[in-house]
Amino acid sequence: MTQVITIHPVTRIEGNARIHIQLDAAGEVRDAQVRISSLRGFEQFVVGMPAEEIPRIVTRICGICPWMHHLAAVKAVDACFGVQPPPAGHLLRELCQVLAHIHDKILHFFFLGAPDFVIRPDADYSVRNIMGLVQQQPELAARVVRMRQLGQMMLEQLAGKAIHPVAAVTGGFARPLADSLRKSLYHDAQKLLDFAVFALEFAKKKVFSQFLEVFASVGAVTTGFLGTVDVYGNLRLYSGTLRMMHPDGHMKEFEPSAYEQMLAEEAVAWSTAKIVYARSWDEGLSLDPVSPKGVYRVNTLARINVCDQIATPRAQAELEEFRSRFGRPAQHSLLYHWARLIELVYACERVLELLEDERITDQTVRNHATPRAGRGVGHVEAPRGTLIHDYTTDENGCITRANLIVGTTHNIAPMNVSVRQTAASCIQAGKVDDEILNRIEMAVRAYDP
Amino acid sequence: MKDKRRPRLSFVWLHACSGCEIALLNSGERLPELLNKVEIVHFPLLVDHKFGGEQEFALPEADIGFVSGGVASEEHLALLYSMRRTCRILVSLGTCATHGGVPALRNRWTAAATLETVFGDTSGRATVAAEMPALLDRVYSVDEKVRVDFCLPGCPPHPEMIVHVIETLMTDGQPRLPGKSVCETCPTIRTGEMHRTVRRFLNNAEYDSDEPVEEMRCLLEQGFLCMGPVTAGGCGGLSVPLCVQARVPCRGCYGPVRPEGNQLLDMLNVLASHGVDHRAIVDRQSLLRFSGAHGLLRLTRKTK
Amino acid sequence: MKKDPLIIAFCCNWCAYAAADLAGISRLQYPGSIRIIRVMCSGMVHPDMVFHALEKGADGVMIVGCHPGECHYIKGNEIALARADIIAETLEDMGWERDRFQMTHVSSSEPERLVQAFRDMHERLEALHQNTFAGVEANE
Ligand code: SF4
Ligand code: SF4
Ligand code: SF4
Ligand code: FES
Repeated sequence: MTQVITIHPVTRIEGNARIHIQLDAAGEVRDAQVRISSLRGFEQFVVGMPAEEIPRIVTRICGICPWMHHLAAVKAVDACFGVQPPPAGHLLRELCQVLAHIHDKILHFFFLGAPDFVIRPDADYSVRNIMGLVQQQPELAARVVRMRQLGQMMLEQLAGKAIHPVAAVTGGFARPLADSLRKSLYHDAQKLLDFAVFALEFAKKKVFSQFLEVFASVGAVTTGFLGTVDVYGNLRLYSGTLRMMHPDGHMKEFEPSAYEQMLAEEAVAWSTAKIVYARSWDEGLSLDPVSPKGVYRVNTLARINVCDQIATPRAQAELEEFRSRFGRPAQHSLLYHWARLIELVYACERVLELLEDERITDQTVRNHATPRAGRGVGHVEAPRGTLIHDYTTDENGCITRANLIVGTTHNIAPMNVSVRQTAASCIQAGKVDDEILNRIEMAVRAYDP
Repeated sequence: MKDKRRPRLSFVWLHACSGCEIALLNSGERLPELLNKVEIVHFPLLVDHKFGGEQEFALPEADIGFVSGGVASEEHLALLYSMRRTCRILVSLGTCATHGGVPALRNRWTAAATLETVFGDTSGRATVAAEMPALLDRVYSVDEKVRVDFCLPGCPPHPEMIVHVIETLMTDGQPRLPGKSVCETCPTIRTGEMHRTVRRFLNNAEYDSDEPVEEMRCLLEQGFLCMGPVTAGGCGGLSVPLCVQARVPCRGCYGPVRPEGNQLLDMLNVLASHGVDHRAIVDRQSLLRFSGAHGLLRLTRKTK
Repeated sequence: MKKDPLIIAFCCNWCAYAAADLAGISRLQYPGSIRIIRVMCSGMVHPDMVFHALEKGADGVMIVGCHPGECHYIKGNEIALARADIIAETLEDMGWERDRFQMTHVSSSEPERLVQAFRDMHERLEALHQNTFAGVEANE
């Protein structure tokens, strides 16, 4: 007799997912999967639409990171139409992107992830959430809510609409930044940076120190990594080249437009999301937790692993401490949370850097675009990982083909490996309880799917 | 005295993007206050409650239920029915739930065509996503499938509006929407002189960036396809419509002004009535990009 | 079973309705399928009303106004004419046949012209229905 355990829905993540764990007759884990069931068909319905409209459509893929889709799309359309935004256009886009990263990281760490650590995973499910946090640590919770809100308000002031944005337009940005607004944003960004530094210190003292021991069994796997760096090997979120790191540590760089040579996609019966794996390693795909093949990870931990350094001082100091403790590449899945907070510090520092750039208040924010036939690949680092939009247009500038690889897709393979590994190490002789099930979910939550 | 029990709220997402839920979280300072006043019995984004019990989608009883997203698969339908059974008041939250939203753009194709595009050539590969819930023939709005007590459109709805609706329903009141169009909440200058054709948004509108938006000429009059006249207002709260703040034309994300209106027809009518040549619009059906449910976007039926 | 089509004709007060009146006085025969709704001007008929009529069961809709240049509200019929284009296009978008809609101009002294337009519309719809029943109904 075999038995199937399901966790449905996986909670405190974005979207619909369930976990299936198959046990054999002895109650040992035979297989486990994270099943994501959402098929929207964006690749289908953007066909025929004028390309310059697409950045306002694909935002609806995800309401947590609409900016990422907005920007990857607008970069792809720029490339199709062969238009280069002026410097201020790029700077304003990047400013929006890092601000969006800030809200996402605060949301993910404190609202979704932290309840597992701050409120302990064996706590009753009804308090293991943000409401529990509000009750147990009202001051912390109030500050978290306020800071996330501040980030969102800054985005609104800059770009009008913060959720499902519209301000990045083909050829640049829709509206220049006034100097008065730049000053007030700068002031607010300093508050965000203070909070980011506080959050990381808080997490190091109160959270990470304990969880590394307690959760040693959650999601320990060995894989490769993919992320974006600039020519100096600095961590980058808005643009750069892609760097793929093999589990053995050797690295290879490639242009985002060459993604098809490096990555392969495979459809499976149990998920509507395709599985992506490293074509360039020539080893195929295997989700066996003991020796996975072709599996690489994206998202915070991956970016922290593939970059040589971070170009802002505080984040760099944190990176050095992180590396001295966990080496490079660091493999433990729960380190995603740590890496997330290092990136939070980087994002805040980057906001200040961008606002200090004189060119950001230039009046010329957009260059005229002329619709034409072409192909364009746009890429950014989304909170959930490397995001690639690939469009082809006809001579009227309308979409004829679209292919999207979203952050979560890269992580489907490793997430499944982690879940299988965690399930196998936590479930013995068919015995499960709520705490075990939550640990398995934590393996998913780390990836922030 | 009234029952002291906190009102129980239940949230599910169907064919949704989670933006509606994030909008709720964006209510800022009012959020902790609100969370303290209610009991949340199911809310996958925030709370660890799982489906349980006999049926696959068994849910706890709730006073007010919120559904975001349209109905696109058998699974969505089962979950929605369960939600209707367990909630005393059911609210469709967001334009996907009230009018289909962006995902209903797929209604221009068959489900099979969509699968083929997404998965490549599916012939002979019956295993592709075979274990996943079957797609419905098209994407439906929530009210096409169950009785809905209140519809709150917006992609996403304004945070204040969501909080207002929750608080009003909690006290058994009847929430009210602005009932105006986006234009009625827009301060741009209108002269009545229209550009003769419709321009694609390939360069920025004309405006002086040192001046407030009140000094900008209406985007529709400038020749951009601004759907403000045919879209329900409220996106900017008490302030300027959000896209117009960014100096970008409205694309209609709050759905039609009257819930049963047709944004495509109404927008073409606005243009025709003002003598603007609408033929320059590329892909006019995409004017229904937020409201393609209720059978408005469809495979064109032609008699042979 | 063959059923007579049902046609809603929005007639402006000053020309079209006057012409219909005259048709009655002159005992001109037109099909019983026509239901006249009097409006002050053809420019008053919002396209929503055309679709509303179809959704509520009408088989076809006509808008009848004064000849170009003769509208009593000066430009009402020009607006109606511009709308006729978008109505026809939207009909197809919504899965209806273009033939279900007709815009016609008459003067108050042309009852024959009006009656002829009514007859033509009636015949067109009958032909359409024969087709529809013979062909494949794709939806629902
Ligand atoms: S209405 Fe908009 S924000 Fe809400 S689920 Fe749909 S796409 Fe997302
Ligand atoms: S058409 Fe657009 S710009 Fe003009 S008033 Fe309406 S919302 Fe404002
Ligand atoms: S202006 Fe229009 S598209 Fe923009 S947010 Fe408001 S309703 Fe939505
Ligand atoms: S009055 Fe007859 S069309 Fe205007």
